[in-house]
Amino acid sequence: MHVNFWREVSRNNIGRMGLLLVGIMTALALFAPFLTPYTPTEDAGTTAFAPPSEDHWLGTNDARQDIWTRLLYGARTSLAVGFGVAFLTTFISVLIGGTSAIFGGLYDKFWMRIVDALLAIPSLVIIILVATYLRPNILVMIVLLSVLTWPGGARVFRAQTLSIKERMHVSAAHTFGASWSHILFRHIVPDLGPILVAMMIQDARRAIFMEAGLSFLGISDPSMISWGKMMQFARVFTYLEVWKWWLLPTGMALSLTLIGLSFTGFAMETALDPRLRRNKANFGGD
Amino acid sequence: MLDIEDLKVSYDGQRILNGVDLHLVKGDSMAIIGESGAGKTTLGLSIMGLLKSCSGRVLFDGVDILSLDGKERRKIRGKDISMVFQNVEDALDPLYRVSDQIVEAILVHGGEENEAVYKTRHLLQSVGLDESKGDAYPHQLSGGEKQRVLIAMALANDPEVVILDEPTASLDAINKADITKLLKVAAKDKISLVITHDISTASKLAKTIVVLYAGRVVEMGPTRDLLTNPRHPYTRGLIRSSPNMTTTKDLQGIPGRMAHGVKGCPFHQRCTQKIDICSREVPFLEELDSGRNIACHRGGIVPLLEVSGLEKSFESFRAVDGVDFTLYEGETIALVGESGSGKTTLAKTIIGLIEPDSGDVRLEGEPVCQRDKEFYSRVQMIYQNPKESISHRMNVLEAVREPLDIQKIGKSAERTEKVKRILGEVELPNDEEFLNKYPHQISGGEAQRVAIARALVLDPKLLVADEPTSALDASVQAKILKLLLNLQEKRGLSLLFITHDIAVARKVSDKMAVMLKGKIIEEGPTSQVTNYPIHPYTEMLIEAAPDLSSDSFPEMVKDLNVLESPEEGVALSRGQLIVVK
Repeated sequence: MHVNFWREVSRNNIGRMGLLLVGIMTALALFAPFLTPYTPTEDAGTTAFAPPSEDHWLGTNDARQDIWTRLLYGARTSLAVGFGVAFLTTFISVLIGGTSAIFGGLYDKFWMRIVDALLAIPSLVIIILVATYLRPNILVMIVLLSVLTWPGGARVFRAQTLSIKERMHVSAAHTFGASWSHILFRHIVPDLGPILVAMMIQDARRAIFMEAGLSFLGISDPSMISWGKMMQFARVFTYLEVWKWWLLPTGMALSLTLIGLSFTGFAMETALDPRLRRNKANFGGD
Repeated sequence: MLDIEDLKVSYDGQRILNGVDLHLVKGDSMAIIGESGAGKTTLGLSIMGLLKSCSGRVLFDGVDILSLDGKERRKIRGKDISMVFQNVEDALDPLYRVSDQIVEAILVHGGEENEAVYKTRHLLQSVGLDESKGDAYPHQLSGGEKQRVLIAMALANDPEVVILDEPTASLDAINKADITKLLKVAAKDKISLVITHDISTASKLAKTIVVLYAGRVVEMGPTRDLLTNPRHPYTRGLIRSSPNMTTTKDLQGIPGRMAHGVKGCPFHQRCTQKIDICSREVPFLEELDSGRNIACHRGGIVPLLEVSGLEKSFESFRAVDGVDFTLYEGETIALVGESGSGKTTLAKTIIGLIEPDSGDVRLEGEPVCQRDKEFYSRVQMIYQNPKESISHRMNVLEAVREPLDIQKIGKSAERTEKVKRILGEVELPNDEEFLNKYPHQISGGEAQRVAIARALVLDPKLLVADEPTSALDASVQAKILKLLLNLQEKRGLSLLFITHDIAVARKVSDKMAVMLKGKIIEEGPTSQVTNYPIHPYTEMLIEAAPDLSSDSFPEMVKDLNVLESPEEGVALSRGQLIVVK
């Protein structure tokens, strides 16, 4: 089981592409203040709906704000939600799925029924309803999305833990008197690292998409700068030329982020699945 | 009648005998065993009245020899009480013919010369020497012949007490057997006291064995009982370290060295089951049962693990079906049987990886209810496949440290120190290079040593070893088994050794339990079970065990059901316990 996943993924063309896209987006979000002289909310332009120019690379919007700047800061929101949800969801999944598998019995049954229930309920409807009521900011959004997406991961993690906990090194740790947390975090999580990363990428992708969707529907904190909201505003002015530098780049940014994550996830899966690994020549590997 | 009461002897202020009480009547034969320096010979010499600084009493027919003066002592010495001395070479005068020396021994106590000569001739004959040998000088005789002369001399005045000090120590096996037989006959209606470090001689010549350690009697009892079932750790150590044809386990020594003048129990520094009181107070010799006496604060070797009525079923399959056994401190029980007989389930149930359906497990007398950290600091397990029992993400240092981390023992630096020490103990390198290796970078034998180190780093008393060597090749297996035996010797580790290989079990175990279909069908001392199996299944296992002859093929019983007992009963035979039809 000693597969160097980082190397596997970065050697795969698709993986490389994905990592590159995610890397660029992350860099844009991180270095946003250095890449633009404006702040996203200030009245920066001379006119509204100004076309791209040297001062405003992507022109300005109806409120005379610099669209490039808003795009950069929007990336921050998207990625924060994406990574936040990924980490929180995975943590909950590991905790619930892992302990269910380790303890078993009534505890396991209880949580698995909860998981079934949550999976059966259409989460999108709930999110829309709750979000409409809460008008969530980034933090609440992360918690909200996580609370509704952990069950799938928990089920996967539980299944994996069930097989790993029968391994002898786990038994050995048990016979040293190890607590469940030691077994979970020292023995099971490290062995499932790659699967966890794959799960996190999936979660991040879905969370970014959900956040954009919710913002597009207008059900988020109004002060939040988000690609979804930008697209909603831009959509209103499609009768003007402005969509070319307002709606299109925003949509592109969102798409590229999602594609980047998908590609990385796909390469990860290729590396994880032995059957796919053997045939990796067919999947654009070198 | 010979009574020894509270006999104490010191040399230069050093106590050599420290209160020995023995009671012998006509016809008794008693062996004093112990390591050299235990005070065995001193005991013999003081009975002969040859030592000055004695206190206590040695009553011979009601007369205290120690209170007599030199002249009176001489009257008794050689006549009523005689001794065969240890060193054959020095005990005879090289300038006189041996027959003259025997005649002299008779004449010292009075009598006619002619009669003495006649008697000497007769004596030489009775010890199996040719008459012509009587005219020889000592240097013309072999060691065995000299020993015979000495015996003849000791018997010359038909004494009531014969003290035999290492009578067979320097003889070859054939002569030894001969002389042993001779002594047995000669000492028949006398009181004989055999002083020896050779347990086999003791077992042949004496009805009672007294184990002497640092001037104190630590155990005493009927020969057979004491040898098959030693109760004092020192006695067990002596038996384990003496080569013989009866026991099959590899030789093991006793850790440490004997020292006189130790405070508390004389043996406590070398004892693996000592408790606080052992270093403070001297244990008294107490009678246990049927003539067994033992001086031990813990009442002898303690039962470490007691399992009774243990059952475990998987759905309708009864994996463990009512198993009882007791494992003593420092002892190995081998659990043998084919795969599927429930050995591993039993082990896992004991260690707590599987919950039993019913039954009792007791550790050091306390019932085990909860398997917590404290339990696992006393009981550890090693697994069949060492590399799998170590996480492939941990290097040697992390792997051996893991138990200490879990149990939160010591500070970080102390833990690392302890890891290095324990690696040394299992004969592995403890340099940086090795500490940083991962399981796939070391050999199977090394990995098993690491696994053993992991188990031992918590200083457990019981080690459950589930097929610890079956994944290793023969030479590595031999080394690992030796290591386990050495660790047992050093730490008093009890081993529950699970194996399908009866040949391996025979070499490492004190007791053997044969498992079939979840039941223990035969149990007893390993040598008994392997030499005289009673249950047909055990016979089959032994038939199928590896041997080096090329012309015998085992006949297998194909249908195991013929071995099943329709009516179960328990029979006791030759100390073995089996389930019979």
